[in-house]
Amino acid sequence: MSESQIGSTMVAVSTTINGVDQERVIPARLTLADLIRDEVGLLGTKLGCEHGVCGACTVIVDDRPVRSCLMLAASAHGRTIRTVESLATGGELSAIQEAFRSNHALQCGFCTAGMLMTATALLESNDPLDRAEIREALSGNICRCTGYETCIDAVLEVATQTRRDEE
Amino acid sequence: MKPPPFAYVAPSSLDETIQAVASDPDAKILAGGQSLIPLLALRLANPTTLVDIGRIPGLDSIEDGGSSLRIGAMTTQWEAEKSEAVARRVPMLASALKHVAHPAIRSRGTVGGSIAHADPAAELPAIAVALDGNMEVRGPAGTRSIAAEEYFKWPFTTSMRSDEILVAISLPNTPTGWAFLEVARRPGDFATALVAVVLRMDGNYCSRARVVIGGATTTTTRASGAETLLTDTQLDDRIIEEAAIQAASEVELTSDLHGSANYRKGLVHRLVRRGVTDAARSEP
Repeated sequence: MSESQIGSTMVAVSTTINGVDQERVIPARLTLADLIRDEVGLLGTKLGCEHGVCGACTVIVDDRPVRSCLMLAASAHGRTIRTVESLATGGELSAIQEAFRSNHALQCGFCTAGMLMTATALLESNDPLDRAEIREALSGNICRCTGYETCIDAVLEVATQTRRDEE
Repeated sequence: MKPPPFAYVAPSSLDETIQAVASDPDAKILAGGQSLIPLLALRLANPTTLVDIGRIPGLDSIEDGGSSLRIGAMTTQWEAEKSEAVARRVPMLASALKHVAHPAIRSRGTVGGSIAHADPAAELPAIAVALDGNMEVRGPAGTRSIAAEEYFKWPFTTSMRSDEILVAISLPNTPTGWAFLEVARRPGDFATALVAVVLRMDGNYCSRARVVIGGATTTTTRASGAETLLTDTQLDDRIIEEAAIQAASEVELTSDLHGSANYRKGLVHRLVRRGVTDAARSEP
């Protein structure tokens, strides 16, 4: 630490994003959202309000849903990040993506990445889910287009199918 | 908007942290960032340095001490919400945490961070006061304990000195009756009014009462007049109504775009009435 200032304005950050190691030296004030979008070029994650209330920027950090606009890239050092780009494999939509498509759970698509990551984290928790619980879990993601019911339909469909597959 | 420029340091010990904060009066501690980063993004705060305490080991444990629970300041709200020890010892905390923002916020937001931020519309400060919690605080001179009621003096300001850091929160086991109620425009919003009630009951006889108001008030406040009315007496609808009226009249109410003082007064009245009724009836 220098005499006049503690810390430094540039930070070295090393993360794993969608299975790929990413190392950057970035301004300390850069958010995880901006690291993902501007540094790594993954534009699926969207910026809505940039103060944590809309949920468009939701990603998964170490298996937990997180507002990437409220996490500094510096705080993500050493962590594992998954964005919406991680859902489809080999060009095939994941179950939740396909359910969103077939249930018309998106229109303009701006909230969709955040919705999908919130839904993915919810489904991974493996808790039994009913409509009320899904509504509660998705209530942090604002959607101006769909009215939410089709989003809930989509999550419920995957949750129900997963339960059936396990039986 | 983006946060303004700042310097960043991630100490690996509390001593380093205290040194960093003591050497720069415009430095700010970064815990989960769920309150601080919005402030930065909205340009309402402009610290010179952020001191990220997320890499300090040992600040996120939950220790069951038998008659009380010690919750490390860096315990995330999600961890506290899921904790079996919290469910067993301090179920009121688990219940209140469900009202805190949304799951994604609770993934990063910390118990200590919310308490140190001291937002009068936040749930955790009210819980800490209602449960007579103690804040374990560390500074250059060592560690001290601050009772919750002494800790929350003003909105967004605690009684910690600028070179002190909150390390843990101790909450006594919740006695027989409790209730936590909140009214907000939408689930996850800050409270327009919230009430935390803790009663020690023996049948219908109440020997101790805590009635804490938040959201509607300028700061997290005990309605001590209401508490006096409820203490050392048999509770019935008449007494509870008196206490609710007293609570609504004695606290300093805020007025803003989410609700006028008059509207909040009505909310406080009803929430205290319902909260005390529920707490008096609840099983230990």
